[in-house]
Amino acid sequence: MKLEQREPLLDSGFWRAVAVMTVISIVLMVGVVVFPVEKYLPEAANISKPIDDLFKFCAFFGAPIFVFINGFLLYFSIRYRRRPDEPIDAVGSEIHEHHGLEVTWTIIPSLLMIVLAVLSYLVIPMYYPTNQAFASAVTLEAIGHKFYYEFRYPGLKQSVMNELHLPIGVPVTVDLTSAEDEQDVHNGAVIHSFWVPEFRVKQDMIPGIVIPIHFTPSEIGMYRIVCSEFCGLGHSHMWGKVIVQTRAEFDAWYADQQRAAASPIAAPLSLAGGNPSAGQTIFNAKCTVCHNAAPFAQRKVGPGLAQLFDDPDHPDLVTGKKATPDNVADILEHGAHGDMGVMPNMQANGLTPKDVADLVAYLRTLR
Amino acid sequence: MSVTHVELPASSHIHPPPDTFIKKYVFSLDHKVIAIQYFITAGLFLVFAGLLAELMRVQLMGPNNHVLSVAVFNQAYSLHGTAMVWLVGIPIVTGAFGNLIMPVQIGARDVAFPWLNMLSFWMLPVAGILVFASLLFGAPQAGWTEYPPVSLQLPLGESLSLWCAGVFVIGVSSTITGLNFLVTIVKMRAPGMTYTRMPLFVWATGVTAFLSMIATANLSAALAGLFIQHNFGVPFYDVTRGGAPVLWQHVFWFYSHPAVYILILPAFGIVSEVIPTFVRRPIFGYKAIAYSSAAIGLLSFMVWAHHMFTSGLQHWEQLFFMLLTMVIAVPTGIKIFSWVTTLWRGKIRLDSPLLFVLGFLSTFTLGGITGVMLASVPADAQEHASYFVVAHIHYVLFGGTIFGIFAGLYYWWPKMTGRMLDERLGKWHFWLMYIFFNLTFLPMHWAGLMGMPRRVATYDPMFAGTNLFVSISSFVLAASILIFIYNAYRSARYGEPAGPNPWGARTLEWMIPSPMPYYNFRDVPIVLSGPYDYGKPLPYANISQDLAMTPVR
Ligand code: HEM
Ligand SMILES: [Cu+2]
Repeated sequence: MKLEQREPLLDSGFWRAVAVMTVISIVLMVGVVVFPVEKYLPEAANISKPIDDLFKFCAFFGAPIFVFINGFLLYFSIRYRRRPDEPIDAVGSEIHEHHGLEVTWTIIPSLLMIVLAVLSYLVIPMYYPTNQAFASAVTLEAIGHKFYYEFRYPGLKQSVMNELHLPIGVPVTVDLTSAEDEQDVHNGAVIHSFWVPEFRVKQDMIPGIVIPIHFTPSEIGMYRIVCSEFCGLGHSHMWGKVIVQTRAEFDAWYADQQRAAASPIAAPLSLAGGNPSAGQTIFNAKCTVCHNAAPFAQRKVGPGLAQLFDDPDHPDLVTGKKATPDNVADILEHGAHGDMGVMPNMQANGLTPKDVADLVAYLRTLR
Repeated sequence: MSVTHVELPASSHIHPPPDTFIKKYVFSLDHKVIAIQYFITAGLFLVFAGLLAELMRVQLMGPNNHVLSVAVFNQAYSLHGTAMVWLVGIPIVTGAFGNLIMPVQIGARDVAFPWLNMLSFWMLPVAGILVFASLLFGAPQAGWTEYPPVSLQLPLGESLSLWCAGVFVIGVSSTITGLNFLVTIVKMRAPGMTYTRMPLFVWATGVTAFLSMIATANLSAALAGLFIQHNFGVPFYDVTRGGAPVLWQHVFWFYSHPAVYILILPAFGIVSEVIPTFVRRPIFGYKAIAYSSAAIGLLSFMVWAHHMFTSGLQHWEQLFFMLLTMVIAVPTGIKIFSWVTTLWRGKIRLDSPLLFVLGFLSTFTLGGITGVMLASVPADAQEHASYFVVAHIHYVLFGGTIFGIFAGLYYWWPKMTGRMLDERLGKWHFWLMYIFFNLTFLPMHWAGLMGMPRRVATYDPMFAGTNLFVSISSFVLAASILIFIYNAYRSARYGEPAGPNPWGARTLEWMIPSPMPYYNFRDVPIVLSGPYDYGKPLPYANISQDLAMTPVR
């Protein structure tokens, strides 16, 4: 008690500590403001920067809070340690309330929270369309499957798998949902998520609901689509690509797609000249998500494929057909739907006819 | 010293102590023995769940690793989360600490319903066996949150039923404990112990008990739905037959958000006890800390959908849940500011309980800040379901709850066992754990923001360096717990006797011998004022003063 009367409550050491923490805070806050996010992760859509700015708002005010709390913890626990020469039952100050202080640390964070909520709420309509204002935008459909993305463009008969092509600067609305055609208990539709980190867009794809999300790509490049909602054994590998192109490039790609749709019956696949070692590379890159190069029983999502062509226990394929090279190629081309789940078709797996030939050649070398 | 002697109320009678081993240590009705049973059982589950985590970190040391198959990896994180929340965290902070300390701190001789207390405990091993037995059938793979429809598809056979049953059982246990503790606190406080004289750990335990009692029934409902759909095909969560997958999310989080406060409030309570004892001064803002616990308890029922910002909520729902989530950060902040201010002008003794509390404050603060980042709906778009969320939950649950648990263990160990732990080992434990905790979980924020989703067995090679670093740090983090185990063993063999009050604390549990005797108090204590007025005479009558005056070690 006597001590407290002699020296001021907040001594010079306290103010020195405050000064140091203030300097560190200011350095960090300036650091937050000037931090070049886009150098690490492109801000490739119109909403990326507003979202990053909200994050920066939190970091800007979070930094001094973090610094002061940790700084005071460190400073007080050193400065006010009981010295060895002090009596063993020495006690500290009795001050245990201060209304001004308590009101301050209630009001200031509350105000910050309200500002953050308002700022956040202003950004929400930028990517969740509220009304018909986005009618002018191009509307695409995106459908989550196990374990790939299907995109449907207006005016394009066939879907595009796993690759979303978008022209730069054109507002798009993507209607997200999950595949409704896969409905039985074991293979039914599940929740996926459509995340493009470079856009700052993430939205769940939920069976039975269509959720529109809105944005305008603003930077040319190729970006990741990541599934962030656990969806099954292939979740870890459920990746797609967004390709943002110039208008001219996009139109050319689109015309190609239309042409492909117009010539419906493609030439039958030819298995001649398949290259097993090229097939092995493709297998390891694309098939090992769901299959092992091991006997049938060692299944992942689908069966192990090592004895595909001569397994006495499994003479038939899931399609019920005999295990011949042509019938295997048929599965690679069109996919399959059996007890273990759904195997995507050739487009979804991103395979060319040549790839199919190589894969069949490779599978034939396995024992 | 004149002590008024008060006759026991006529209704109170003392049962004779249990005379058989079974009654004393197995089916015990004594809250202190039950607490130790909780510690040991949940501690075992902690070791299992921790090993599962390390298995995951081995798999994640590099991209495209094949140490674990995808299915086994999924099972590992699902059981890790399930066990850490329901078999480790909640049982330790409520069943173990609540039982060990709360009745004594209010001057009671046991909880209100000792038999229910025993029942609650015995549900824990049953739940644990059910949950871990699901491994035999290929455990569930959809994480501790088990979102349908995928949760209904992956485990073929009985494992999902076992999981549901196990979590259901521990839910019932938690509900009963809540009821038991709430009645105890309301009805069994010693004469003179008004609500504003209760130790802050009791406040925290009371609010937690209320949450467990009210919220947990929703978990039971959600689980019953999952179980029934899985086994009898009633399509609660099946959109093709009139159900809704999002229904599960709402009901699950209506429980599980309060549950995160069930996990942290008792740790807040531990912090509030340790700080005044080792700082030797009254806690700053007693009422603010007590009432903010209550505020958090109420608000925690109104923020659940912040886990669902990407599940297609309406705009007004997003605004509502965003605002309330941000509001709940304010009472949390008030507590932290009050604790830090208590250090000011103290006479601080940096013993291991306080070190763990300082570690708690340091790491939990970061978890609170990232919590606010997650609360902003647009910012959450980038962070949700990524490693950023994994980092957040570990900053609050490991940096918060687990650091709080260790603070409490170092603090009350002498009371529980009658022997001291070794200080030097305690300090080693703390520093290794604090440093490697941060090295393990800090980098995850970055990986998440850069695009690494959670619940994956492999990842884009761009994350290889971060993940290797995280894995190696996590191995040291796990090893640091071995120091504690050795310390506990050492204390049992060679620990110096603690005496009733080695830290010179002032709450009632320190006014009786260590370990605490059967029935705690020979006479019911009388409480004259609050527990934290260091430097003043003790605020109790009817206690044995010579025990209480034992000087600070
Ligand atoms: C300042 C206080 C806090 C705020 C504002 C906050 C906010 C949030 C938000 C918005 C999420 C959802 C993130 C997402 O999925 O996108 C979240 C997740 C989570 N929080 Fe907090 N939080 C806070 C404190 C806590 C505390 C004290 C705990 C527990 C001790 C906790 C445990 C969790 C857990 C376990 C999850 C993840 C659940 C999961 O998806 O598996 N949080 N938090
Ligand atoms: Cu929450």
